[in-house]
Amino acid sequence: MVALYRLLVALLPYRVRQAYGAEIVELFADEWCSARRRGAWAAIRVATLGMLDLLLRLPREHWRAAGALSIEETMQSFWYDLRTTFRTLLRQRGSAAMILVTLTLAVACNSAVFTLLDGIFLRPFPFREPGRLVYLNEQAPKWNLEFTGINYPDLVAWRNGTHRFESISAFGQTDFNIALPGNAERVRGALVSWDMGRTLGITPILGRMFRPDEDRPDGPHVAMVSYHFWQSSLRGAKDVIGKPLRMNDATYTIVGVLPAGVEFPGDAEFWTPLDADAASSNQSYEYDGVARMKPGVTLAAARADLLAAHEAVWRASDSAHVVSPRIMSLRERYDRDYADIGRILGLSAVVVLLIACANVGAAMLVRATIRRRELAVRVALGASGRRVARQILTESLVFAGIAGVAGAVLGWWGIRAVALGSRDLLPPGIRLGFDWRMAAFCVGTMGLVTLLFGAAPAIEARRQGLLGIAALGDRTGSTSIRQRRALDGLVVAEIALATVLLVGGGLLLRAFRQVEAEDPGFRVNGVLQFSLLPPHETYSDGASQRRLFQRTIDELAALPGVTSAGAVSCPPMGCHWGMFYTAEGSTRTPGSDDPVVLTRIASPEYFRTMGIRFLEGRSWTAGDERPLGGAFPVVVNEEFVESEWHGATSVIGRRIASRAKNSPWMTIVGVVHDVRHYGLDQPMRPGIYMPMSWIEKDRTVGSMAFVAHTDGDPLALYSEVRALGRRIDPDLPIIKLETMRDAIDASLLQRRSAMLALSAFAAIALALAVGGIYAVLSFIVGRRRREIGIRMALGALARQMVGMVIRRAVVLVAIGVAIGLPLAFAAARVLGSLLAGVSPVDGVTYVGAVVVLAVTGIAAAIAPAIRAAAVDPRSAITES
Amino acid sequence: MRPHHFHVLMSLADRDRHGSAIMRDVLDLTGGAVKLWPVTLYGSLDELVDEGLLREVNAPAPDAREPAGGHKRWFHITAAGRRALAHELKSMAELVRRGERRLLARETT
Repeated sequence: MVALYRLLVALLPYRVRQAYGAEIVELFADEWCSARRRGAWAAIRVATLGMLDLLLRLPREHWRAAGALSIEETMQSFWYDLRTTFRTLLRQRGSAAMILVTLTLAVACNSAVFTLLDGIFLRPFPFREPGRLVYLNEQAPKWNLEFTGINYPDLVAWRNGTHRFESISAFGQTDFNIALPGNAERVRGALVSWDMGRTLGITPILGRMFRPDEDRPDGPHVAMVSYHFWQSSLRGAKDVIGKPLRMNDATYTIVGVLPAGVEFPGDAEFWTPLDADAASSNQSYEYDGVARMKPGVTLAAARADLLAAHEAVWRASDSAHVVSPRIMSLRERYDRDYADIGRILGLSAVVVLLIACANVGAAMLVRATIRRRELAVRVALGASGRRVARQILTESLVFAGIAGVAGAVLGWWGIRAVALGSRDLLPPGIRLGFDWRMAAFCVGTMGLVTLLFGAAPAIEARRQGLLGIAALGDRTGSTSIRQRRALDGLVVAEIALATVLLVGGGLLLRAFRQVEAEDPGFRVNGVLQFSLLPPHETYSDGASQRRLFQRTIDELAALPGVTSAGAVSCPPMGCHWGMFYTAEGSTRTPGSDDPVVLTRIASPEYFRTMGIRFLEGRSWTAGDERPLGGAFPVVVNEEFVESEWHGATSVIGRRIASRAKNSPWMTIVGVVHDVRHYGLDQPMRPGIYMPMSWIEKDRTVGSMAFVAHTDGDPLALYSEVRALGRRIDPDLPIIKLETMRDAIDASLLQRRSAMLALSAFAAIALALAVGGIYAVLSFIVGRRRREIGIRMALGALARQMVGMVIRRAVVLVAIGVAIGLPLAFAAARVLGSLLAGVSPVDGVTYVGAVVVLAVTGIAAAIAPAIRAAAVDPRSAITES
Repeated sequence: MRPHHFHVLMSLADRDRHGSAIMRDVLDLTGGAVKLWPVTLYGSLDELVDEGLLREVNAPAPDAREPAGGHKRWFHITAAGRRALAHELKSMAELVRRGERRLLARETT
């Protein structure tokens, strides 16, 4: 970084450089070193601001060094330059349009991507000193679980045993059925421990936080509402404190309003106390944790502290150290899911910017060459080299200004489209807004590009100052070898960069197609699903829940057009409920990883409705849910059989039991094909289905999903299903009503977005590179008219001339591709998990990218080649 | 007067300093609000020297408070610089007085 800065300092006027250059670099180096010690973001900030300071100050220093005209003279000269610039632009409309379009696209891509990344990764949390906040959870590598959720007694042990935290809070996400006049609505909420406000460092704008005595099992029904809910549903009334609110069939008292922007976790509209029981011996891993470290404590020290506090838990109940605490910065937890797509977008935007720079650089070189004579005449008539350079700099500024504004507008429009179109994709709570940083970024980008493409012609013009008269005598009008090499180099660079994006886009496209073609193991078309969350207050026991579920299934099956209907406690793409089982006669080697088994409760018709195929046996029927001496009949999946009885041919009649206390044996009556429960690109775990008869007395479920298969359009059933919901229980909202196809599409949303974004960037890159090839070849053919004319006069054939131009295009593309392919291979690793099994050296993709580049490259050369073949030798030789 | 020039003159009002010391001092003076990045800082110093408000001086004997690199350029505020700063401060003080008077006028009506 310092080396780059030193290089840029060389752009300062000689006098300033001589006097202060060393100290300027030294000062920057000091800043840079101390910033690096503070972290990556501080370093990026210093690098950006330092570079901007240098680049934005450059014109002023040169203006001073030039012996400073008076303000009036400067303005007069500037207006003159501006008029001349617009006249020239109109005269050379083609190249001007190409430069403007290229620059606008580059600025638009960059400002849009920057705004998005800024919104996701850089915006500060709305909490006091967010750097001291950490996210807590537990992990169980032996169970192949990254996050198990926190067992509340463990959190209490951490609270008691740690010394480096100011406070440790727990939270859980939950949904509330909220009764508003006329209908029931489902709203996202959170259960939080009473000290959550202290941990996050927030104070309510109205009322108070929870008190310790409110956060206990069977505590009072109190709630805090989010600023958004207070404004939208309670109309911002100042007297809401103490008012009642009907949620989940219970009456809650509002005790406080959270500050604006604090919708934590996610987009929670309510907080209610956690009411967890610290003395509970029930090992229920269900909460998340957030903690505030004491000032000056590092993450590593906090982790060590937490592990030391967890020793007590290991000694008491987990001597095998299966579950251990997990800690990471709140930011890391929040950004994890977006790291891949963020990296891809950021790098793609930078590559597009580089291609645009190369393109514009080539176009400016071409313009400077075409205008060589004009400039030489001006110099010969007495214009100073500096004067000419200023004219060209004005031109660059005009380009940069127009493209900067147009690009920012276009980018802003793009980001609005993204924000409106993909609410589900973006992290909750993110707000995309125009801010000064985006404006500064646009101006900074443009400053850099202006300098890059303004400098080359300006240097050319300076050189013209010396060679002006000689150039006047040069009647051949051909380009110098140096110029041609520079142009070729720029085109090769564009092609190499376009190769990288094309290969990246191609790989993601292949991965997407592959994932999309995966057999989910269940029926996707013609299936509708929705869920019910029976509130504990109304459906407190298993019997009443079962009555509700059975009635819903029966009424659903009776709807016109429905061929079958069923229910499952945990639908695909929806949730996870894991338990451990002991299998009779298991062949699993002792000590091997103990798999968590996905456990679902299903109605017998569920398998038929979802088209889940039986490999062996059958499902139970409503009548024989306890057929075998009181044991539950269960259905297991292939993966379960594979993990417990590897290689067994038949497992019907074998018995398994949950490892929870007093669990009865269950008998396997069927084996089904695996379903892609966690997403089309995720592996399946061992899984079992238990009958609805499991729900009884105090064994209840939190929610139940219902599925219906129809021969017609499932969308047509929406209104019938809603009416059914109102008929069964008007206070119970129908939630997550969607077709199975939509559920699958939603699960692929991030992958699809990454693929579309990279493909769009690849298309822009290809268009720019092809435009570059076309422009450079057209220019070279134009400049070599005389030479082509002489060759043809000496007997060369038209097709040889076509061959000459096409050959040149092929050579440029070949060199570009040869450089680009290794770069693409290196870049493919960035795509990481999004590749979903497609190799980063996937031959089809690489060959495809090469073919696309070769074909478009040659296509771009056809028009210039035809122009070369059409050169009339006589006029070409005689024209001056 | 340009804000950068004002800050530099303020920094040199009580003692001579070199570039990085001025940068730190201005940051300190403004409570972290103004950071003079290297090119702006030395550009401003050069302009102020051109205008005769500052001049370069030899580095003082090394002292514990301000580690002095031998090669660093030290700057000293000239009499004209002091006058310009005093004038600027006076007009600012006047502005502050007027502003306060207006605020007071609104509160009492």
